[in-house]
Amino acid sequence: MSLRIMPKGALKAWVTRLQSRQFKVVGPKSLHGQYIFDEITDPNDLVLDYPTSVLPPKKFLLPPRETLFRFNARTMESHAEITVEPLIIFGVHTCDMHAIALLDKVHNTGYADQHYKAHRAATYLVSIECLKPCMEGSFCKSMGTLTVPEAFDLHLTDLGSDYAVDVGSEKGEELLEGFSSVWEPTESDYERVNNVMAAKWPHFSYRLECDVTELPDLLSISQKSPLWDELGERCLACGMCTKVCPTCYCFDVTDEIDLNLEKGERVRTWDSCQIEKFAVVAGGHNFRSSRALRQRHRFMRKGKYQYEAFGLMGCVGCGRCAAACLVHITPVDTFNELYRMRQSAKAVPQPQIKEPQP
Amino acid sequence: MTTQTLPRIAFFEFTSCEGCQLTVVDTLQAHPELLNVVEIVQFREAMSERGEDYQIAFVEGSCTRPHDETRLKEIRQQAKIVVALGACAHLGGINAIRNRQPLEEVRQYVYGDKADWFDTYVARPIEAVITVDAVIPGCPIDRNEFAMAVSHLLQGRMPNIPDYPLCIECKLMENVCMFQRGKACLGPITRSGCGAICPAYGDGCEGCRGLIPKPNIESLKQVLREHGMSEEEIDAKMTMFLTYQKMRLEEKR
Amino acid sequence: MTTLLNETLRQESIYIPTPARIATINPMTATEKLFRVALPSGFSLAHRPGQFVEVSIFGVGEAPISICSSPSHSNGSFELCVRSAGKLTNALHRLSPGGTIAIRGPFGRGFPIERFRGKDIIFVAGGLGIAPLRSLIEEVIADRGKYGRVYILYGSRSPNDILFSEDLKLWANAPRTEVHLTVDRTAPGWDGNIGVITTLFPKLRFHSRNMVAVVVGPPVMYRFVLMELLARGLADGNIWLSFERQMKCAVGKCGHCQMHHIYTCQDGPAFSYAQIKNLEEAL
Repeated sequence: MSLRIMPKGALKAWVTRLQSRQFKVVGPKSLHGQYIFDEITDPNDLVLDYPTSVLPPKKFLLPPRETLFRFNARTMESHAEITVEPLIIFGVHTCDMHAIALLDKVHNTGYADQHYKAHRAATYLVSIECLKPCMEGSFCKSMGTLTVPEAFDLHLTDLGSDYAVDVGSEKGEELLEGFSSVWEPTESDYERVNNVMAAKWPHFSYRLECDVTELPDLLSISQKSPLWDELGERCLACGMCTKVCPTCYCFDVTDEIDLNLEKGERVRTWDSCQIEKFAVVAGGHNFRSSRALRQRHRFMRKGKYQYEAFGLMGCVGCGRCAAACLVHITPVDTFNELYRMRQSAKAVPQPQIKEPQP
Repeated sequence: MTTQTLPRIAFFEFTSCEGCQLTVVDTLQAHPELLNVVEIVQFREAMSERGEDYQIAFVEGSCTRPHDETRLKEIRQQAKIVVALGACAHLGGINAIRNRQPLEEVRQYVYGDKADWFDTYVARPIEAVITVDAVIPGCPIDRNEFAMAVSHLLQGRMPNIPDYPLCIECKLMENVCMFQRGKACLGPITRSGCGAICPAYGDGCEGCRGLIPKPNIESLKQVLREHGMSEEEIDAKMTMFLTYQKMRLEEKR
Repeated sequence: MTTLLNETLRQESIYIPTPARIATINPMTATEKLFRVALPSGFSLAHRPGQFVEVSIFGVGEAPISICSSPSHSNGSFELCVRSAGKLTNALHRLSPGGTIAIRGPFGRGFPIERFRGKDIIFVAGGLGIAPLRSLIEEVIADRGKYGRVYILYGSRSPNDILFSEDLKLWANAPRTEVHLTVDRTAPGWDGNIGVITTLFPKLRFHSRNMVAVVVGPPVMYRFVLMELLARGLADGNIWLSFERQMKCAVGKCGHCQMHHIYTCQDGPAFSYAQIKNLEEAL
């Protein structure tokens, strides 16, 4: 919508001001040498120049444990438990913004999920332009997630002494309301933004050997690849890859009830397709009984299934799963290995149709 | 006071430190409402009366002597539901560490010239002797899990105990991975549900809640090797709580 | 004015079920009971054969169960044939008539019954698979003139496990309708066929040209029945199957029932063989 400039020195005052306007502010902060998204009570704790977070900001939109409704088992009354508060998430990386775009799509398709929508509506997203690669496992440039999708309310770009503030929505406008330390950009501010944007690209490399648009087809022809068995041998089925993934949204539902067996609640918790029981039916049959099948399902979702179901890629290249995995199973290696296997299969001479001789 | 008869429960102990029953006492203080929904007829840790008319038996401790078997079978005869309480009853617990050594040597080492007085044998979980309906795992048990289990049993269903690995719970807490801190951890093969209490306080998981279904032990061993552990250290790490389960897996192979 | 039950999902929360009363319970076998469930007045289920509902008992949980009564026999209530096999179904079996449960649904796409008109139909049921098929069979029998010949093949573990035996007799008496039963293990008094469901096929004389097949049973059954049907020349698009999957939400969110880009709860559970034959993990 429009661009503003804010001196970096004004950030803390802005955060404090937003807090005084009854917004809950969360953002990346340092904890035991890693970064986590957490409530910012002291603006000094907010770190916008951070590599990556342990869990993605998804946790505020789709909490790891969420009460869906409360019930009374005797009277059979029930009412939805949707409690949200105005929340600003600072410092969302562009990969995570793409993940949120997918979550938006999923939860608004078919029967819309009122719980997700309520969280989302109350949330203000202040994303930040990534100017250098955040960690070894990330491959955002390959996945096309190095630029911000439209879902942002405000988007910050670090210009050195100032932030360029892209206003993406009326909600974004609302956050800047009455804050005097922002100004309209001058011609030279635009030039500064352009320079920073131009300078950042060479710092990132393409890490996939194929193009992202080839991934769904590559995976289609890789259903029977021996690579899945290899991953299954190594995989611990610990489920960490799915916990840290910004696009995983599968959940389990359980009931909790008091000791008088009267009042209770139905709760959803994050689930993982990597654990043994995920696809078991009442009769005991397991539709993905091996770790190999479960890893295949995971990568197919990331590079193919979700794209086919929702039009958006299920992997945003954040690299968190690669960093968490104790047995070095990574999307970059997996996709590249499948691609190489295809290339070498192609290298085998195939019967050629003879071109008619002139 | 309610006139309706409450389900009667009883607690029993075999070879154990009775720490799990201590946790039950602790749970009763945190959840006094439990006493409104069950009647405790036998609980040596907390009361002197001993009723033998119970429906639910919570059994702590492992079976380590022939006459434990007799007593366990009596309990099974009486109780509609038998619940293994804690790692010793569930897995054989730390008592099972000795199972890898010749029994005679163990007895000599512990009891010296009185070894003949003690008829202790291989330490086993109670399910090796009697049918167990439910398990509340851990060393010690988790008090919230105990309260939840009682609530589920009153509903006539089995307690919903997680059987996914600890890593899931630990990662949700955003703990620093033990392996990043250069520590060995059994989280990837151990049942979750303890709130990842050891990693949260900086110690690797020891596996007290037992193995998950189909654990990838070989792959975890490789991870431990990559983190500089010798075969001996790896075996030692998996000995504390997992000896019995691992020996069973080895027999099957 | 009646409200469609699934309209309630668009209000407060897609996860909130509507309380419903258990009108009657009929024990069927050692492990199955038939529940007639009455919706509160003003609500209608308006389901299609092959759809399912999510059944709740507050404090225990929720599970997907296929509707086994036909839409034309509904009248504010519907039937569920439930095998005691998990925590929710066990609890359901302990309830008495008059007890209250809660319902969401109906969910998914049922069988495209309009496309079956004028055609011969072969129904193949294994075990509890007869339950969702009953909803469709009743609909076909009720409107018998609109369909060609009907063959009903039903395999059970033993004679004592046969479900809906009264209905089977009624169906066998309907015009141009054959019912063929088989059991895996015999018992005293059984003089019918013994063997897996495919042993019934040689007894049948049917013409596959104008025929549809509807197959519901345990996962292991599908492969073998498909081989028979395909060998007889049925077209992929004329073979219909219904899939069982773990489902926690039934609204295409929880991910448990996902196979490829398909959410079985919303895009199924009924599929034609043509739709799923190239999907790994489908069968």
